[in-house]
Amino acid sequence: MALRRLILGILGVLWLVPVYLLLANASKLPAEFGDYGLWEPGTLAGLWANFAEAFERGKLSGGLLSTATYAIVSPLIAVIVGAAAGFSIVALRLRHGFAWFVVIFASSIFPLQMILMPLFVGYAETGLFNTRIGMILVYTVIAVPFSAFVMRNFFTGIAHQVFEAAVVDGASTLRIFVAIYLPMALPALIAVFILQATFIWNDLLLGLTLTQSAEVRPIITALSALQSTYGGSAMSTVLAGGLLVSLPTVVLFLATQRVFTRGLSLGQF
Amino acid sequence: MTMPTPRQAELQAASRPKNAYRLSSIGFVAPSVLLVAVVLYLPFIWTTYISFTEYNGLGDPTWVGLENYREMFADPEFLTSIRNTLFWVVGTIALPVGLGLLIATLTHGMPRATWFRLPFLIPYAVSGVAVGVIWSFVLQTNGALSQALEFLHLPGSELRWLLDGPLNTFVMIGASTWQGAGVNALLFGIGLQSIPKEPIEAARVDGASGFTLFRTMTWPMLAPLTTVVVGLAIVGSLKTFDVIWGMTKGGPGRVSETLALTMFKETFVNNSYGLGAAVALFLTVVTVLASILYLRRQLADSRGA
Repeated sequence: MALRRLILGILGVLWLVPVYLLLANASKLPAEFGDYGLWEPGTLAGLWANFAEAFERGKLSGGLLSTATYAIVSPLIAVIVGAAAGFSIVALRLRHGFAWFVVIFASSIFPLQMILMPLFVGYAETGLFNTRIGMILVYTVIAVPFSAFVMRNFFTGIAHQVFEAAVVDGASTLRIFVAIYLPMALPALIAVFILQATFIWNDLLLGLTLTQSAEVRPIITALSALQSTYGGSAMSTVLAGGLLVSLPTVVLFLATQRVFTRGLSLGQF
Repeated sequence: MTMPTPRQAELQAASRPKNAYRLSSIGFVAPSVLLVAVVLYLPFIWTTYISFTEYNGLGDPTWVGLENYREMFADPEFLTSIRNTLFWVVGTIALPVGLGLLIATLTHGMPRATWFRLPFLIPYAVSGVAVGVIWSFVLQTNGALSQALEFLHLPGSELRWLLDGPLNTFVMIGASTWQGAGVNALLFGIGLQSIPKEPIEAARVDGASGFTLFRTMTWPMLAPLTTVVVGLAIVGSLKTFDVIWGMTKGGPGRVSETLALTMFKETFVNNSYGLGAAVALFLTVVTVLASILYLRRQLADSRGA
């Protein structure tokens, strides 16, 4: 046990070193950057100044609001759409249900690279390019297959008698779905929601391809642009930007770790 | 009352008023199917077609047959891109997956295991670009890592981590290990928890312990989960994009490109939509083939066992 702790301790410290370097250097004012050693910490005041500077230079404020919208609205629609598919296949015994499930799920196996160019051209032609609606649409669709996968597995674990009993009571299928199946699936729904929200918040590729303006552009794409422009001259501002955009997902993930491992282990294994 | 078998269910369904839920079952599945059809499958088909044409986004595509593919394989830079992608696949299976298993095994059954896992979980929630921002700072020539190596009198402080290939690919795999080990530890942790305790106890009574216990008992019982984790690692690493974009953008020149980077640059930087589509299709074929081959082998192995 002592040896185990030693190995874990050494690995853990190694893992935290980059976090320390990030904090230490994001808190030095760009003008004073050269006065410090790279391993020395800066000041709290420097950190705040750099946050403000990253916001200003990276035009992060508009993007922050848009990204929060994408990361909440899209997974919310996707979990319900995916759950509806799972409900249709498992509870309503859709004809050729498994084949339809494969059609929905298989779309997530292909690399995103296969859809980038047509989406770019198609979005430009339909006026969806560089719009929030366009981003919400694509993020929703990307999240649907995984959601359908987990929800179908989850509903398989619910006895079909539950459905039959509700039918005997005279409930409509929509009512059974909304009032019985969705509430029962809440842990799995939350798990899928958190995973997809994190994924969308952290997306680069779709933002890079389908947006242009600072208001619509997702935050990670904005960070990448900030890095390309100021990586040489104002490294500490870029690092502060990196810290800023990472905080929401890190906090969400750590706070909900238990909920979602439980939700997933119910759904998947 | 027991669960009806599929056959019985079919008979039941047949005896109901004809397809009682047919309409609503279609209604519930339709949104998913329509969305993936229009936003995913239709673009797949379009990209496949474009890969056989000359197209720059304006005007009409001109059919050129296999010309894009010939051009692609004749390009030595493309072969470098394939090689780098292979490095990523092998490196990802060895490092984030291997370390994830190690961390999960070491923390399993330990009091306050959550705290010991915490340092590894933080980076997982960080985006690939932010990981790139952090690590490109750490790995700058004469940056924090080089200074630390010099301070400790270790070799390597003179290396130009991000400027020379294939070294830059290796250090980027390292950065991605920093990001990815935690989630693999989490998945293996779930797997370890679901292993029944009795056989392990029995083996322990018989005198097995430590590595022997792990090799003969835990590892075989973990196999189904390992299949999933390694499968995800293969598919994920083939598509690696964000960390590289945040560190070298595939450069200097094109020396650290992977297939995902090559596709993006050909399409959106060079406006060679046809060539970019050919790279995308090649990447897709490789991904799907790798998944099928891997799963078939795994299934064959478990049948043989």
